[in-house]
Amino acid sequence: MKKQFFHLWLLFFMGFLLMSYSEEKRLHIIIQPQFSSERVAENTWYVTENNDSIQFSKLRFYLTNFEIEKKDGTRYSIPDSNFLVDVFSEETLQLKFPDVSYAKGDELLFNIGVEKEMNTAGALAGALDPSNGMYWSWQSGYINFKLEGKSPSCASRKNKFQFHIGGYTAPYETTKRVHFILNAPNEPITLPLQIDAFFKNIQLKDEYQIMIPGEKASVIAATLPKLFSVNE
Amino acid sequence: MNRIKTYSICFVGIFICCGFAVIQHKEVLFDYPEYWPKPAYDFSKLSMTEEEFQLGRHLFYDPILSRDNTISCASCHLQATGFTHVDHDLSHGIDGNIGTRNSMTLMNLAWSTSFMWDGGVNHIEVQALAPITSEDEMDNSLEAIVEKLNASEKYKTLFYRVHNDSVVTGQKTLLALTQFVVMLNSYNSKYDKYIRNEAGGEFTAQEKNGLELFRTNCASCHKEPLFTSQDFKNIGLAVDTTLNDFGRMGITANKSDSLKFKVPTLRNIQFTSPYMHDGRFETLQEVLQHYTTGIQQSNTLAPELKNDILLTPNERVDLLVFLRTLSDTDFLFNKRFNYPNNY
Repeated sequence: MKKQFFHLWLLFFMGFLLMSYSEEKRLHIIIQPQFSSERVAENTWYVTENNDSIQFSKLRFYLTNFEIEKKDGTRYSIPDSNFLVDVFSEETLQLKFPDVSYAKGDELLFNIGVEKEMNTAGALAGALDPSNGMYWSWQSGYINFKLEGKSPSCASRKNKFQFHIGGYTAPYETTKRVHFILNAPNEPITLPLQIDAFFKNIQLKDEYQIMIPGEKASVIAATLPKLFSVNE
Repeated sequence: MNRIKTYSICFVGIFICCGFAVIQHKEVLFDYPEYWPKPAYDFSKLSMTEEEFQLGRHLFYDPILSRDNTISCASCHLQATGFTHVDHDLSHGIDGNIGTRNSMTLMNLAWSTSFMWDGGVNHIEVQALAPITSEDEMDNSLEAIVEKLNASEKYKTLFYRVHNDSVVTGQKTLLALTQFVVMLNSYNSKYDKYIRNEAGGEFTAQEKNGLELFRTNCASCHKEPLFTSQDFKNIGLAVDTTLNDFGRMGITANKSDSLKFKVPTLRNIQFTSPYMHDGRFETLQEVLQHYTTGIQQSNTLAPELKNDILLTPNERVDLLVFLRTLSDTDFLFNKRFNYPNNY
């Protein structure tokens, strides 16, 4: 009896060794929100490229439909891989895929935002549950990217700026499919989020509020891949 | 070895007990006449159980959905009037606030491809979010509702009966409401019995003439058997300058959608007064008056209304008599749809 168990343990142990020596790595991404290479914090002053002083109170967005493309071209869609990232809630910056492995050089694809099919699929669960404050009610659809804060440059009430970027109907789609190569030598993979890039083409004195789908939202959405330093 | 045996007996015992604890669900059937088109709604997310139907019914009639527990869905959607707000041109909600539109009827919603007068809502499961979050209706959020429901022993029990899990989520709340409203089907009016050649469906000469007039003048938009084409149309109503409501254009931002509103069903129309998106007409006589003599020309006017609709006084009466055959008392007085006293 005892001897049998010993054999079993040996087998497990060897399997474990084999796994740890293989090139496959478990997918784990950490998002690093930065403003001009400074770590971003709530209600702290920053200065944009256009010399607007700003503070952030809310920054939440969807990253969805992750997929791995192997070097040989085969693709694997990771089921239910939908994340609602809240930059000021530390644990949501960690995207963990315990069942997904990859090799160095594989490509990772995902959406910034929620695809059309999920915008028209009724009430969904988990990160996509409409009770997460990222769903419009008067016009169905997800807010893909929500950024709020204040700046003395904004002529609005309490100097607030509010950017709620969403919309899935042509020609004003706001969801962006992006990809980057997983060649970071160390784990987990860090994905810098350059929030200063958001304000590159925005003059806060003229533009401080977008809360509906449409042309303005789609123009801003086009700049989102640059925030993540990923390719469209 | 003995120990293993004891453990396995215990395990099997626990397993059997679990079997008894699992709730037996009673199925609900989604029924409709076989000659009707297939519903647009995909039922796959619903449990189609009596338990979920009753949970949705409780939610529908419970003011817990509003910010201050005063307004329920039924406040503006009363069963006896085809689930709409009788006698109010614009519906009112929380704090006595008055909204900007006439509440719509709720019936045969599984065939509906968009919701609200402007079609802003794209799916029945997320429709409830509109009145829940409207400042003039329930002025609440789904987050706050989920929190309230999770603190309620009654609802934890009702959700447990459906999901074998008492934790309430936004999705489960919306699905339960859907399970109730999607069952509000009307297909037993005198007109339906006439079409099916059933007892009680014998049309008088006047009703038959009314049906003919209806098919000639109205049915292209109010398409049988649902009495709506699900389309958006500008029916030539003058703009109410106190509201400046341009309908569908507010959603699509497309000028060609200016003044277009959803074509509503005409089923149970005898009881769903007042009429139009802003409830401007109190009687069906006024509605016919509009279609025959009141059409305002504009770029987006429905092509169906470009030519005048001509009706003699007698023909108008026949048409009105026909519209009464769309009343379905089986639906309006169905005890399964009323306030849940008995569950």
